[in-house]
Amino acid sequence: MDTVLQTKGLCKTYIVNKHQNNVLKNIDLTISEGEMVAVMGPSGSGKSTLLYCVSGMDKVTAGEVFFNGRETAKLSDKELARLRLDEMGFIFQQMYMMKNLSVLDNIIFPAVKSKKNTESRRQTEERGRALMHRLGIDDVGGNDINEVSGGQLQRACICRSMINNPRMIFADEPTGALNRASSDEVMNELLSLNRDGTTIMCVTHDAKVAAKCSRVLYLVDGGIVGEKEMGHFDGGDKELRDRERELNNWLMEQGW
Amino acid sequence: MFWRILKKDLKRKKTMNIILLLFVILCSMFAAAAVNNIIAVTGGIEHYFDVADVPDVIVQIINSGENDVEEKIGELACVREIRTEHYLCVLSSKYFKHNGKELDNFTNTACLLSDSEMAINYFDENNNIIESVDKGCFYANAPFLQDMDIKEGDEVELTVGDSHLTLKFMGRFKGALFDSRNTAFPYLIINSADYDYLDKDEATHIMNGWQFCVNTSDVDEIRELAKDYSGVYVYTREEIKGIYLYDMLSAYVLMMISIVLMFTAFVVLRFTIGFTISEEFREIGVMKAVGIRGGSIRSLYIVKYLAIAVIGALIGYFCSVPLGDMMMKTISENIVLGSESGTLMGLLSSGLVVIMILLFCYNCTRSVNKLSPIDAVRNGQTGERFRKKSFLHLGRSKLPQAAFLSVNDVISSPKQFSIMIVVFTLCILLMAIMSNFALTFKSEKILRFFNVPSCEAHIMDSEIFAEVAADQGTYKQTIADTEKLLADNGMPGKCTITTATQFETSHEDKTAKLLFGVMKGETNDTLYVDKGSAPRKTDEIAVTVSALDDLGAEIGDRVTAVINEKEYEFIITGTYSSFISQAFLYKDFDLGNLPAYTILGIQIHFDGSPDKEQINKNIEKLKSLLGTDKVHSTSDFIEHLTGMSDTLNAIKQMMMIITVIVTALIVILMERSFISKEKSEIALMKAVGVGNGSIILQHSLRFVIVSVIACIVSTAVLMPISNVMMNWVGNMVGDVSGMKCDFDPMEIFVICPAILIGVTVIGSFLTALYTKTIKASDTASIE
Repeated sequence: MDTVLQTKGLCKTYIVNKHQNNVLKNIDLTISEGEMVAVMGPSGSGKSTLLYCVSGMDKVTAGEVFFNGRETAKLSDKELARLRLDEMGFIFQQMYMMKNLSVLDNIIFPAVKSKKNTESRRQTEERGRALMHRLGIDDVGGNDINEVSGGQLQRACICRSMINNPRMIFADEPTGALNRASSDEVMNELLSLNRDGTTIMCVTHDAKVAAKCSRVLYLVDGGIVGEKEMGHFDGGDKELRDRERELNNWLMEQGW
Repeated sequence: MFWRILKKDLKRKKTMNIILLLFVILCSMFAAAAVNNIIAVTGGIEHYFDVADVPDVIVQIINSGENDVEEKIGELACVREIRTEHYLCVLSSKYFKHNGKELDNFTNTACLLSDSEMAINYFDENNNIIESVDKGCFYANAPFLQDMDIKEGDEVELTVGDSHLTLKFMGRFKGALFDSRNTAFPYLIINSADYDYLDKDEATHIMNGWQFCVNTSDVDEIRELAKDYSGVYVYTREEIKGIYLYDMLSAYVLMMISIVLMFTAFVVLRFTIGFTISEEFREIGVMKAVGIRGGSIRSLYIVKYLAIAVIGALIGYFCSVPLGDMMMKTISENIVLGSESGTLMGLLSSGLVVIMILLFCYNCTRSVNKLSPIDAVRNGQTGERFRKKSFLHLGRSKLPQAAFLSVNDVISSPKQFSIMIVVFTLCILLMAIMSNFALTFKSEKILRFFNVPSCEAHIMDSEIFAEVAADQGTYKQTIADTEKLLADNGMPGKCTITTATQFETSHEDKTAKLLFGVMKGETNDTLYVDKGSAPRKTDEIAVTVSALDDLGAEIGDRVTAVINEKEYEFIITGTYSSFISQAFLYKDFDLGNLPAYTILGIQIHFDGSPDKEQINKNIEKLKSLLGTDKVHSTSDFIEHLTGMSDTLNAIKQMMMIITVIVTALIVILMERSFISKEKSEIALMKAVGVGNGSIILQHSLRFVIVSVIACIVSTAVLMPISNVMMNWVGNMVGDVSGMKCDFDPMEIFVICPAILIGVTVIGSFLTALYTKTIKASDTASIE
């Protein structure tokens, strides 16, 4: 399978009050097309920083990051922005949306902005509606973002991340602010996307979420200390329970 | 703990706190400067009259020979004190030489006053009372110094008849009873020895002037006495204040500017406080959740804003001093202003700003009490409670993405942006109205308000019509001489002279002193009347609306006037507008040998309708034939007579500078507030792949949209507002209605909007560059 994302000796350092804080240390990582990778670890281990560095949202201090074979450090801000717009999708823990746009407009906004998109606005809007229908939120398209529930909003964020058919979706604790039912719905959508071929990298604290992923990375103090191949999840409750148990055991071995 | 939270808050929300502080400074600065202006306008002249020792009544005698008025006034029982000033008259500016060149900068007769005969206090430029003038020296007032490059210590030569004096310039002086407009009489104060030397020369007595300063308990008795004499005018202290009309107008305009600026500052302040408070809802929720009472939370913010308000108000007050001085420059050149009350009121106004900020803050924090802890936390991301905002849809819009977002933002926050539109509209209107006023006050379109016939040239040298000024019976000769001069030199034309003289006029039990105008000479033009018809017989007059009110009369009524010691009865045939007079006689009415109060020069209407080029050639030819530079075209004549165009132009330029500064400040500070408030959205946009250019464009476009709307609104309302205000001013300056403002389309529809849009584009673009510092990864650290 093609490699979508690769890092070599990735380091990220922050200087806080004149003290050097090495958040990421020599991370070597390869993510292939169609994988769904969970990144776990204790708070402050550098999970989110890793996500932001590999997605080009933050600059790396040292090392190399390749996305689709292109080294992100060598791209200009404009090229990086284009890369994020056309080939990446993002889902955050907080359901960030633009306040002055309706839910549907928020979803289609990246497509309107993308030069890759040759459709008319009307066609884009139709595609946005289709995505909303797929995620079961087609009745809230015209609503303002305060008029929908957290689960609906997070599904709208997933729609937004999908609108440009990205090669990879980066999700930073996508279910962190949701209740169990909403969390399951959102994860099922991500799984469905992954089955359709979209590569996903997901930062999470939740073993149940990670158990649905094909691979789990365990970070401690800025370094990957463990990696577990889980294989693709096919969707049965029993399988999920088994995977969760297996993952929990492994996590305990890692010091979770 | 309370103080620790406060300290941390001040440090953490540095940007918003600095913005707030800047607006408090602005607000306090404009409030204090505006209050100073208001005090100067309302109480300044009264204060000036007190320090100048202006009496209850001023009796002026112009162009009259010796009489016993002074003696008779002195005999009245009601008179407590009488002080006399006698003026020597120098008929033309050309008798003065500066740097070897004859002066041509003023048209009226120059009056010389002896330092031993000063009946009131005169002040130098530093507001010190002039006690005496050294021999060989002189002080001069504004009309003498207009368009003259003279500095202290320069010498001016004066030759009248056989007398010659070289006088050293000591500076400009302020005289409470003297009009300081360019069209007014120039006055000089000289040493008594120099005065006595000139007094002996008959040439200084072709015209004579006296002024009696009388303190009395009964003004009417003096008025009654003055009736018996021609060329004697009585003014009360209140009436003399009319000469400060132009200063008052300038001050009112400045006051209006100050109020607009103050309003602007308060509006922006209100939003800034709103932003900062709404940003803190999350913290409010946390504090409530841990059990801090609503009142304590409110007091925390109120103390914070109190600290910012007090510091800002103090800095603002000190900044207001130079601003106020700059704004009051024109007025303080002519008036001795009291500073004590201004300082106190300035401080009070700064205090008022502090109170208003606290009230704003109190109002904004009201919701703190209503919020439950969880409400506050839920809304904590922005503190904003959403509601249906825009009707625009990205999917259905044809606008490019950045333009759509800008338009959508403006529509989504109508209150916020409409206030900015109002402020920007006011800024453009102030600039454009000043431009219209300046242009109108030199426009040929207002010639009719000076009640002269249509003409192309105006001889304004007082020496040429000095005889008519002293004896109106000589007008025929003056007109005949001028027409002959024109015919002999190949530029035939008809001449007219318009004069004005004051007469007591009565209707039933009402009496008023009206200035009667009359146009002498051959012309086909009749007086332009607003209502009724122009007088066509010697027993008919037209009057202004205010004169009609003063007399309690109507068109068709009969009024009586005492002219040349004889009572005449006139029928009012119509009303007219005028800057000069209040009643207008038919041209054939004989005023005998009365001296004229005002002469508007000699008007020339060239035969054969020459073009502009020929008119200019004729004017130049006339100048050399008459040996004077005071032959004007109609536009120069109007500009000279109104004397407001320059002042208004100066105010317009000041307004342009203030508009640029205020607009730039509003744009920069508001945009900075927006960036601070929208940090999460900017980070989100960057995260999904929107480039810096698009974000900067979106932010800049919002202000451009606002400024363009402001330009459209101001364009729509400019002319109606200008006309209403012009008539208001016209009514104050003269008795004029139905004035239509002149305008320069290039200036008001292109330059003024371009200034606003230009400043907005540059200011918003440069400030929006700050969005570059927000990173996509900031989505992780946004609260």
